[in-house]
Amino acid sequence: MRRLGWLAVLVFVCVSLGQAVSLPAQPVAGEELQISHGEIGRYGGRLVVAQKSEPKTLNPVLALDAPSREVMGRMNADLIHINRDTQQTEPALAQSWKVSPDGRVFLLQLRHGLRFSDGQPFDADDVVFSFQVYMDAKLNSPQRDMLIIAGKPIAVEKAGPYAVRFTLAQPYAAAERLFDSVAMLPRHLLEKPYRDGKFESVWSISAPPAAIAGLGPFRLKEYVPGQRLVLERNPYYWKADRNKNRLPYLDEMVFLFAGNEDAQVIRFQAGDTTVLGRVGAENYTLLSKDAASRGYALYDLGPSLEYNFLLFNQNDLTGKKLEKLAPAQSWFTNLQFRQAVSLAVDRNAIVRLAYAGRAVPLWGNVSPSNKLWFDSALPRPARSVEKARELLKGAGFSWRGDGQLLDPKGRAVEFTIIASASSAQRARMATIIQDDLGKLGMNVHAVSLEFRALLDRVFQTYDYEAVIMGLGGGDADPNPEMNVWLSNGSTHLWRLGENKPASAWEAELDQLMQKQMVERNHSKRKQLYDRAQQIIGQNLPFIFLATPNVLVGARSDLGNVKPALLEPNLLWNVEELYLRAATGGGR
Amino acid sequence: MKYVERRLLHSVFLLLGVSLLCFLFTDLAPGTYVDEIKLNPQISSETIAALKAQYGLDRPLPVRYFRWVKSVVKGEWGYSFAYNLPVRSLLPARARNTLILAGAAVALAWLIAIPLGIWCAVRAGGWADRLCLGGTSLLLAVPEIVLALVFLFLAVKTRAFPAGGMHALGYEQWSFWAQTGDLLRHLVLPVATLVLASLPVLVRHVRASMREALQSPFLDAARGYGIRPLRLLLFYALPAAANPLISLFGFSIGGLLSASLLVEAIVGWPGLGPFLLEATVARDLYVVVGVVMASTFFMISGNLLADFLLLLVDPRIRSGAA
Amino acid sequence: MSPRRKIWLALALLMALHLFVVFADFFAPYSPASQNRDFPLAPPTRLHFRDAAGHWHLRPFLYATVPRLDGINEYEESRGQEYPVRFFVQGDAYKLAGFLSSRLHLLGVDAPAQISLAGTDSYGRDVFSRVLHGGRISLGAGLFAALISLSIGTLVGTLSGFYGGWMDESVMRLTELFLVLPWLYLLLAVRSFLPLHLSPLQTFFLLAGVIGTIGWTRPARLVRGVVLSAKHRQYVLASRGFGASDLHILRRHILPQTYGVLLTQAALLVPQFVIAEVTLSFFGLGVNEPAPSWGNLLASLQQYNVLVSSWWMFAPALALVVFCLGYTILANLIHEQIQSIPA
Repeated sequence: MRRLGWLAVLVFVCVSLGQAVSLPAQPVAGEELQISHGEIGRYGGRLVVAQKSEPKTLNPVLALDAPSREVMGRMNADLIHINRDTQQTEPALAQSWKVSPDGRVFLLQLRHGLRFSDGQPFDADDVVFSFQVYMDAKLNSPQRDMLIIAGKPIAVEKAGPYAVRFTLAQPYAAAERLFDSVAMLPRHLLEKPYRDGKFESVWSISAPPAAIAGLGPFRLKEYVPGQRLVLERNPYYWKADRNKNRLPYLDEMVFLFAGNEDAQVIRFQAGDTTVLGRVGAENYTLLSKDAASRGYALYDLGPSLEYNFLLFNQNDLTGKKLEKLAPAQSWFTNLQFRQAVSLAVDRNAIVRLAYAGRAVPLWGNVSPSNKLWFDSALPRPARSVEKARELLKGAGFSWRGDGQLLDPKGRAVEFTIIASASSAQRARMATIIQDDLGKLGMNVHAVSLEFRALLDRVFQTYDYEAVIMGLGGGDADPNPEMNVWLSNGSTHLWRLGENKPASAWEAELDQLMQKQMVERNHSKRKQLYDRAQQIIGQNLPFIFLATPNVLVGARSDLGNVKPALLEPNLLWNVEELYLRAATGGGR
Repeated sequence: MKYVERRLLHSVFLLLGVSLLCFLFTDLAPGTYVDEIKLNPQISSETIAALKAQYGLDRPLPVRYFRWVKSVVKGEWGYSFAYNLPVRSLLPARARNTLILAGAAVALAWLIAIPLGIWCAVRAGGWADRLCLGGTSLLLAVPEIVLALVFLFLAVKTRAFPAGGMHALGYEQWSFWAQTGDLLRHLVLPVATLVLASLPVLVRHVRASMREALQSPFLDAARGYGIRPLRLLLFYALPAAANPLISLFGFSIGGLLSASLLVEAIVGWPGLGPFLLEATVARDLYVVVGVVMASTFFMISGNLLADFLLLLVDPRIRSGAA
Repeated sequence: MSPRRKIWLALALLMALHLFVVFADFFAPYSPASQNRDFPLAPPTRLHFRDAAGHWHLRPFLYATVPRLDGINEYEESRGQEYPVRFFVQGDAYKLAGFLSSRLHLLGVDAPAQISLAGTDSYGRDVFSRVLHGGRISLGAGLFAALISLSIGTLVGTLSGFYGGWMDESVMRLTELFLVLPWLYLLLAVRSFLPLHLSPLQTFFLLAGVIGTIGWTRPARLVRGVVLSAKHRQYVLASRGFGASDLHILRRHILPQTYGVLLTQAALLVPQFVIAEVTLSFFGLGVNEPAPSWGNLLASLQQYNVLVSSWWMFAPALALVVFCLGYTILANLIHEQIQSIPA
């Protein structure tokens, strides 16, 4: 009985708070709005999207998890933005910018008259403050490393009320891309907590909406623990359509915390959500069966930018007490062995069986859909068990009577491939490769491990033989990949923690990557990166397998849907999205 | 009452032991909270090391445990790495939702299991008994997750029930009765899953215990006195069979709680389940410890309840304990 | 039929069921690991008795399955040629009982047709063959784990119920502790200390050991409940009055009271423990690919798309039901038998 009374009070409070919709503010003289070129939409309605889990924080400087970033991306804006559709940079909060001839100094002109979602003005002081916070060593922001060029933080100074100068320690190719997704913060709200050393606890997920302000199309309205987060229109957003209607069109955006991909698929199929983020090929096939009857459309955007690969442990194991791995490492460090494995893997079977045909096979780290950087001249040797056997024979391997492969020292070739248990696709790839390599006489085991346990082995203990992983997908540019290919990089997975390159080809790769990083001429840069791709393809530190297609869905009555390969695939132009029929409001 | 005090003291020790073992287990398990960002090539290993130090993950186990105890005393129950918030502030909303679900499931499961088990015991060997045997065998062979998914599939197909979640969108504006109805509609799938998953165990034990009681000599004697069958069943056989069943009741609370954690994650029920699962996967240690402590607390309460019931029902134990 | 004979009959039937699993190599038409990459997730092959011309055949035949061009993982029968089901055919090689090399299988059809009585999985492996093979580890480990947990449970439960006092108190707290601990973390820890690849035999003992040690708590509490009420019964008190030793009372009067609960528990625990492998395999503690077990076969059902579009993947659950029913019926019969013998 007491519970009922308590619920009644709750109801009363909720009803009395009302459901007022925040309306777009009238334009102000001198306000430099950006005009977007989508269809003219209509105001109103609510977009619902399901997430794997709830965002953990709304603090853009500290967030580490993907759900937080997805939500904050709608609440904040950056100076220069990568258009997810064209994959090129375009003006955002900065209306224009100039680069000095030596490529080190960027002068950004901000739009005039913009306001944060709480109505307070935005100017150069906010920009300088924001970068000061991101680059503060005490805060350990994950964005910080990106803003350190050649060991020095980018110097940021005010060059006028609406102008900011950025000075890099050395030229950096495509430096404009660094500004993408670096959210600009309101100095008027955050400076005091920052000076008081309380920045870590600011803008937590339970913070009151009034304490948070950003420059994105939406602002926080309500958070219900474990259930949902509701954003409402930012009435001061700085974009408008061709008819000068201030964006966004939608009144509200709801993030539901649904659970894994299957749960998201079920909610979308049931009509609970408006859009569906990336799904696997089987779920795509399943959904496509009743797409028409349930009123949604599905999009196959072609291969993504990520790459899945088989990785052999070539780490330096001195002092690790892993003598048991020594025989296996003698095979893995042998190029002919790796080439034989690459030749024996049935990539087409992976595409068909692990991705139900919605993927493309890979022989390099750049996906064919990365038009700007894909090297079409890269060789793609067809699968051939015979050639693989010849290579092994040439390297001194032999076969026992029962078909088991023996290494030059007469030891049976036997090893274990680990894959994350949370990715059905990668686990399946492991089983396919196990079968393929069995045809070479290798006794391969496939083991599923929980993801953190797998990462611990790859990054910490080095106690593994082979693993199936995936990387990339964040941006089309090669620079974010630097740490994978530089021999001292933090994600140089096959040999972590190297001080100097272990071989001539790694030394050349280091040089090429360093050169391309500072080269500002695209065609010269492409030449350097093509060469890097060739070296990688020839030396096979990774056995590249496949890249899955990006598969998404949206309700048919959603307008301006332009799904893109880059994340967030559907919500990147959320300010333009609108509901065609008058379904929104109190659905 | 001395008995109660003793039990409470034991419970405190149990909680302490659980917390210690929790820390030990989490220390033994591979990986830390910051591991996942290691895969991001844009973050340097120095930043990762600095983050580890910031979270105190580089400290030895006793130091971390001591810090945690201190923070429990302060009423914070440790800080979540992911949320940057005290664990204490994250638990109540989720614990409440779990209790709603698990409570409904426990009540309904026993409400079905007792009559069904009695009926099977009375009609042992009959068609009802056999049907029950077949049905419970089938339920035993299907994992809870699969059961939940089947229900969700049916919900999507028939559109009769919501496909997950706890409330419809915008339910705050509805009347009290509409809200309750909405909550009940959302409860149907997870409760059905939990009840069906726990029913085989309960029904079979009720049946076995009742069967035993029905065959015992004192019941023959009672029958001989001409006591009416229903009265015989409810006032003679059932109390005789109650002892192991009450043990089972205490246990079923724990079992249903942990099963509900799993089912919650599948149907998107915003309880402790998805919270714990995510924290486990992410190695958000203090959240894991916090949730485990909370469910320990509920389970102890359940077992205490069962013990008191036993005391109440069985005069022999009462006299023995006094 | 006398109750005793009923027990023997049930036992014989159960043994026959086990033979299918033990000699899975012979009864299964294919090797459990052989992939047919052209036919992933194909539905069960239909057996026909009547051909296109309308003639009836005593020997069933089937048509070759071909992928449909307009869909992914969709198939149809190619009605051109009939392939009769053949018995005692030569197929994939195997070693019977570990040493006897053989190629003989009970069933088979001529290539290119395939006989997949329970469809194929996502690698095009024959689910029927995998279910038969999978029973070996699952049933074995399930039974063994049940034995372990029941033994521990009976011992602990009896002692705590019979002697009471501090022993009872500590046992009860221990069972509570066991129930609430975050076992998943311990499993992760255990996994990181074990070698990555475990042989099927190691997996078997690991599964049985882990499940058995975690699962003893419920039987222990239930047995305790029974013992508690039994030890105050008149005849127990009388027996004590005559100077009977504790051991005598336990063996003669108390333990027989627990048989009902124990047998019920046994019949419940085996299927539960088989399913427990689904969870364990997520942590890399289950049976590794490509070896099948009912646990890892059921695990694929946890994917929504498989559950919705490939109903034949329920086959392992069906097999589990059959065995589970067998055990339960046997347990019930034995229980009735014990009851009917005057104590």
